Amino acid sequence: MTAGRTNGMQHLQSEGDGLMANVTLYHWEPNANSGKPMLTLMEKGVAFESRYLDLLNFDQHRPEYLAINPQGTIPAMLHGERVLTESTAIMEYVDEVFPGPRLMPQEPRDRWRVRWWMKFMDQWLGPSFSMIGWSVFVGPAVRARDPEELKAAVERIPLPERRLAWHKAISGRFGADEMRESRRRVALGIRMLEQELGKRPWLASDRYSLADINGFNLAYALPLSQPALSNDELTPNIMRWLRAIYARPATRACWALGRTSLVKRVSILEQPHIGAGQLS
Amino acid sequence: MSTTLYHGEPNGPSLTVLAALFAKGVPAELSYIDLAGGERHSLPCAHEPLVEMSIEGEGPVLLVDGEAMTDSVFIACYLDDVGPGPALRPADAYGRWETMRWCRQMIERTAPAAAYLGCRAHPPAADVALLERIGSVDLRARWEQVASGYFPEEPLADSRAKIHQAVIRIEERLAQREWLMGAFSIADLESYAWLAGMVALVPEAFAPHARTREWLARVRAVPAVAQALALARSADPAASWSVGPEINRWG
Repeated sequence: MTAGRTNGMQHLQSEGDGLMANVTLYHWEPNANSGKPMLTLMEKGVAFESRYLDLLNFDQHRPEYLAINPQGTIPAMLHGERVLTESTAIMEYVDEVFPGPRLMPQEPRDRWRVRWWMKFMDQWLGPSFSMIGWSVFVGPAVRARDPEELKAAVERIPLPERRLAWHKAISGRFGADEMRESRRRVALGIRMLEQELGKRPWLASDRYSLADINGFNLAYALPLSQPALSNDELTPNIMRWLRAIYARPATRACWALGRTSLVKRVSILEQPHIGAGQLS
Repeated sequence: MSTTLYHGEPNGPSLTVLAALFAKGVPAELSYIDLAGGERHSLPCAHEPLVEMSIEGEGPVLLVDGEAMTDSVFIACYLDDVGPGPALRPADAYGRWETMRWCRQMIERTAPAAAYLGCRAHPPAADVALLERIGSVDLRARWEQVASGYFPEEPLADSRAKIHQAVIRIEERLAQREWLMGAFSIADLESYAWLAGMVALVPEAFAPHARTREWLARVRAVPAVAQALALARSADPAASWSVGPEINRWG
């Protein structure tokens, strides 16, 4: 299938950009790492060939995908003959190489702030959200499968750390200390985001940027997943920010590509007010 | 514009930022702090959220017009943007993607391993008064672990393996080029800064790889790197370590 904003496709076609048909994105749901380049491409108005990989069916460890990305991580992007991996680095590439609105600020200090927040979310806050998400969604979803088939699928995973993560998710063996630490980080991360979003309209600068795209992919379902920590009374700045991103046409188009109940949670943002305790 | 760089011994993240500053010719006041003694936690900006929660660990701080900036690769990108010197990233978007991807792997995989091995061999000084000043719970836990002197074999072996992997990646990369990204770049700086101190601690990782050893010597001879190394107060700055980024919690 081809995804992308119609006006963006027309824009590229009218310029006769030969690269237009040459962008293929291998991704899972519009969520976390997969959603970051998806939403960036859509904000830029870049038409791309969408190749959905079912993470829960281990599509990313099949030989045909490993031929593209031997590490077996999602997402990966083909641009012509080039293969690009690492979702945050792909976002910067997409912003630089394609026409459309600039998603990296012009001011050097703002750029630093965008990168700081993306790293903080990618490496500190994101893994904690992810550990909780894997224990409550990914693990139970795959445990329904045939154990032998599951074992064989896990043995195909090329990166040892990913293999370990899948083992833990499947067997529900995230330790109590690990989960407690993840919950501590999520609570602190929410407080930090709320504080930062009280300083300016967007996370890292006065304009919508890659940091907001990155953050939305992490936090779009916060009022559902963390109702006691994030709602209109406790975190009004986060709620304002999430709703503003969700109101963007690119975000709507991107999340419409979601197939699982995980990403359909985004509709919580259609509620005009979410009070403390309303969802708990 | 007022710019102050708080830096430690020219090793690890302090070396990356000092060398980038000199290479780009950015005027700044240099302020030496004892990162291995935890002095960063006494700076007026220590409890700014983007300082306190920098996941790089005990790295330098660049203060620009009152805003405290952390994380060496991103400070180097900032310096590359504002300074008049030769570019420290490739001119094309694909080359810059390669640079950021390379640095991400260094930050995420190599740096925690190097800091773990470095702190075991050359422990930074952690006293009770220091630990009480550290705002980040997980950074404080890493200081406490270093202070305990207990370095289990499993993360030690994993850290040595990650140094081996980094050297192999560099060796492969240098088969076709003198510098990691073609021209001298932030990728060379960041890679050198974490690995220079590993030559003495994991010598077997470097022994079979002549191109990497020659590259280390080339980086050391770059004028901006030499200028940064000349600021050392110890005889061997590559033996100066403080607490670094955490080892990936997912394994």
